Amino acid sequence: MSTNDKLNSQEHSQEDEFPCEERGCDEEARTWQKAAHAQLRGNPTEEAGAGAPLRIGIYICRCGGNISDVVDVERVAETVRLIPGVTTAKVHTFVCSDPGQHMISNDILQENLDRVVVASCTPFLHEQTFRGAVARGGMNPYLYEHVNIREQASWAHKHDPEGATAKAIRMIAGAVGKLRFAQPLEQIKLPNHRRALVIGGGIAGMKAAADLAARGIKVMLVETAQKLGGKLNQWGRVYPSERPAAVLVAELAERIQQDPNVEVLLGANVTEVSGFIGNFKVAIELQGSSTSTPSRKDATVGAIIMATGFRPYVPRDGEFLYRAEPCVLTMPEFIRFFQGLSGGAKQIIFNNRSIRRIAFLHCVGSRQLDGVHEPGADGRLNTYCSRTCCTTILQQALAVRERFPGVEVLDFHQDIRTYGSGEENYYIEASKAGVLFFRYDGSEPPTVQPTSSSRIKEGALTVAVKDVLTWGQELEVPVDMVVLGTGMVAGQIGDLIDQIKLATGEDGFLQEVHPKLRPVEVAVNGVLLAGTAQGPMNIAETLAAAGAAAAKAASMFAREDVELNPYVAQVDPTRCCGEAECVTQCSYEGALKIVEMQLDDEVIRRAEVNAGLCVGCGACVAVCPHRAIDLNGWRLDQYEAMVDGIAADLPSTACASELVNIH
Amino acid sequence: MNTHVNSDFTPDALVIGAGIAGLQSALDLADQGLQVLLVERQPSIGGHMIALSKVYPTLDCASCITTPKMSAAAHHPNITILTNTEVEGIETRDEVHHVRLLQKPTYVNFDKCIGCRLCEYACDTEYPDPFEEGLGSVKAIAVPFTNAIPQKAVLNAEVCGTCGSCARVCPTGAIEYDQQPRRLMIRTDAVIVASGFNLNALTVKPQYNAQRSRNIISPLMLERLLAPHGPYGRVLRPSDGKMPSSIAFVQCAGSRDESIGVSYCSRVCCMYAIKQAMLLSGALPLADITIYYMDIRAFGKGYEQFYQNAKAMGINFVRGKVARINPVEDGDLSLHVETTEDAENPLQERRHDLVVLAQGMIPGWQPSATTPVTCSANGFVAAPTLTAPTATTAPGIFVAGTAAGPKDIVDTIAEAGAAAMQASQYLYQKRSAILVG
Repeated sequence: MSTNDKLNSQEHSQEDEFPCEERGCDEEARTWQKAAHAQLRGNPTEEAGAGAPLRIGIYICRCGGNISDVVDVERVAETVRLIPGVTTAKVHTFVCSDPGQHMISNDILQENLDRVVVASCTPFLHEQTFRGAVARGGMNPYLYEHVNIREQASWAHKHDPEGATAKAIRMIAGAVGKLRFAQPLEQIKLPNHRRALVIGGGIAGMKAAADLAARGIKVMLVETAQKLGGKLNQWGRVYPSERPAAVLVAELAERIQQDPNVEVLLGANVTEVSGFIGNFKVAIELQGSSTSTPSRKDATVGAIIMATGFRPYVPRDGEFLYRAEPCVLTMPEFIRFFQGLSGGAKQIIFNNRSIRRIAFLHCVGSRQLDGVHEPGADGRLNTYCSRTCCTTILQQALAVRERFPGVEVLDFHQDIRTYGSGEENYYIEASKAGVLFFRYDGSEPPTVQPTSSSRIKEGALTVAVKDVLTWGQELEVPVDMVVLGTGMVAGQIGDLIDQIKLATGEDGFLQEVHPKLRPVEVAVNGVLLAGTAQGPMNIAETLAAAGAAAAKAASMFAREDVELNPYVAQVDPTRCCGEAECVTQCSYEGALKIVEMQLDDEVIRRAEVNAGLCVGCGACVAVCPHRAIDLNGWRLDQYEAMVDGIAADLPSTACASELVNIH
Repeated sequence: MNTHVNSDFTPDALVIGAGIAGLQSALDLADQGLQVLLVERQPSIGGHMIALSKVYPTLDCASCITTPKMSAAAHHPNITILTNTEVEGIETRDEVHHVRLLQKPTYVNFDKCIGCRLCEYACDTEYPDPFEEGLGSVKAIAVPFTNAIPQKAVLNAEVCGTCGSCARVCPTGAIEYDQQPRRLMIRTDAVIVASGFNLNALTVKPQYNAQRSRNIISPLMLERLLAPHGPYGRVLRPSDGKMPSSIAFVQCAGSRDESIGVSYCSRVCCMYAIKQAMLLSGALPLADITIYYMDIRAFGKGYEQFYQNAKAMGINFVRGKVARINPVEDGDLSLHVETTEDAENPLQERRHDLVVLAQGMIPGWQPSATTPVTCSANGFVAAPTLTAPTATTAPGIFVAGTAAGPKDIVDTIAEAGAAAMQASQYLYQKRSAILVG
């Protein structure tokens, strides 16, 4: 006889119903049970005569030890097993592993479970995993509750195992409460517009567009400039292949221009984005040109790929004498200058000066430290590594030495980060070619000063450094030119961040959901990241990231419909009076509206939800005076039951073990 | 999980290797509606990643990231998995790849095995557990590890004494001592090489004397020691089970070193050393931890901040190349190191009781001899195309992850997606051409 059967048959007898009383168990346990039983009686499933009482399975994860090193998971299982309606409570080392998932689906089949709770890590990480396991057991995946006892119990209360265990029990009790009132839900299916919008026509955008088009998917590529290629148009040769950047750009541009699946819009900006996965409505403003007038284009797309790129870091006025001295150049400026030298040039002349010694400074605008560097105009320190500057500097240093053996090249670095395929060779070759290396500690970066008049012939600028390689000698080196190894900063994409509701990291770049689980996705479904919009990357990495984004889009388009979580508002038309309080409060354009409908001879007004646009925020629920609107999966009665579950007193362990014997 | 394959099975794509790269490629292809055969030479899918403790820079437990991908692949209706299976060669004729597979005997009938482990409990023969990097032991017949997929026992014939106990206890009669290797020829239009990496030997630099001390360990051994469900459940040094109190990480111990033929950077060692140092300082709060390095290459998203956090936690970073390691008394080790920190005393001898050598990444498989794929001078699969980093020299064969060169997990996963995209558009183009023609 299950707990519930027993309860139902014994409701008349107070003593029998709360056996703790008889056995002298403490007050706590009784009240806890009473509360739980009260919940059970209120179960709508039973009221509706749906038949058998609930059979809830609870699975508690050790997470290898991440949870079980702090939380006494066995005790949690032992305790929550006593909650009425709970049929089984098990502990597993990794519930997310295949054997763990199999245990759940198997139990659903074997023990006829109709509700499942997994207490483990974050729902963000594994809610989908367990919904899948539950569905494989033949249960509706929305009769599942996820409880995070890792971040919220074991990690948060590392030094209080007793408290963490008690908290885990309460959290699970809350989830069980919420599940009592859960109803099966179905995913919302909406038509999928099989066309992608790619924002940005640099190599990331071109690659993503080319890959999707070659897979038979229509793409609209929007680029602000009048030309495809982005930053690469200003580059010379690319490492490690040493082929001209222009070849790379041309190769990709040709592919997309020849593919009828790609519509390229140059001189164009995406100005408006609304809607949701499979159904984004976008507006594009086309700048006028000599042959056309400014115009606007509207389109519906299923996915949006953000390939908006980066901006090169621009030093502050006076940072390493930038803009104060003409011979201080950023890396892009140097590359343009050096490329522009005539083929027959015997020496480097810049600003009417013969350049005999060049200093390259690493980490300008990257790896900045609090208290050492000044924050930028946006108040932000660029604490990250820009990933590409080391190799670019060595590539350029080597190019200078090879073309002008008479020019000395000095390199000032913290670390040489030539990590990628073929990149270490630049370091090896630069060393062999006589590039002179100086190394500084990040907290004591080199300085650039005008050279004192007595040494001006040696060079107009002096780089001073405390050199780690000579055990901290303070060296001053006159040079003719300083090239700043400027890094990458996040691209400016204006109000697209707000319109699409994109998250940015502390570094200002667009933030992925998870670097390994969902590396090219953002929190908004259907929006993908490609390339340096996400963070510094080199060309090969950018192309790979763009390919990965295209793969995700292609997977999305492989389905007929887009499927959305059913957590949206639902109107009870028998209670709604069409007062539109909810519509006034709703912050999502089009998610709620008042419609007129015919009821018998009367025309009545009722609120109506657009499931695609509703995000399930619940603002409408809070303001409805008639409780006529509620949120599927998060209804008010579920909240109440959840709070009751959390607040109910816990039985003591001694009492708990007795209860096991009774039931 | 579908594991039944005959030579008449013609998947759209075949993925070689079921580590994180192969899993991700297979999933990204299968999600696009393509049929994938995923081939793994080990008894379980999951590759190196499933054996790691936590992963940088988020410090998520590695299992938490890997198991769902393993499970998703195992349950995907479009993915078929063959474990214990090696690729013997690929011949391409008329744009169709004929892949020769060798299914090695497991001596267990997978159709009958229910993963109950009774055979494992009954077996008397133990040998050093390869999953635990030899730090623990495992029975001659066993399910490879807790979260292995498939959950089927595999018998190691090299150590098995054929006593028959496993066959006696097996409730389903799954043990088959006479199982033979099986050869298969699979025809497919696209192949993704995701065959991963190996580490070069601990002894690759003789001056580090790794053969003379058990307390000079590999980073993968330390991963197991740090894993919450590892061999000892805590960090103990191998020689005597002592809790180490002074741990040294020797960086570039198998990379960036022309003397051993590996001049490239292995790209992950700086970051995993920092991560391991952080985890160690949690596991052994009183231990001194020193990282000897040439350059700290914390280049990825969030990596530099991770490095700065480690410095703030009190982990010692010493810039200096370790010249020699000598075993000394009590199982300890003496490191001869030239540092750039002390002008008076640049040549130092420093004593530690556990040393971790950052071995270099080398290719896990050499496909150039038996397949149309060519490799570059360093042995990794060559990716010669400028605009498609996952294409190889052979049309219709693509590469993902560390098979193409050292790479961290984040970059591997991105590249795996790109390889899948490359393969799927190749298939689409090829089939559209056939339809039109």
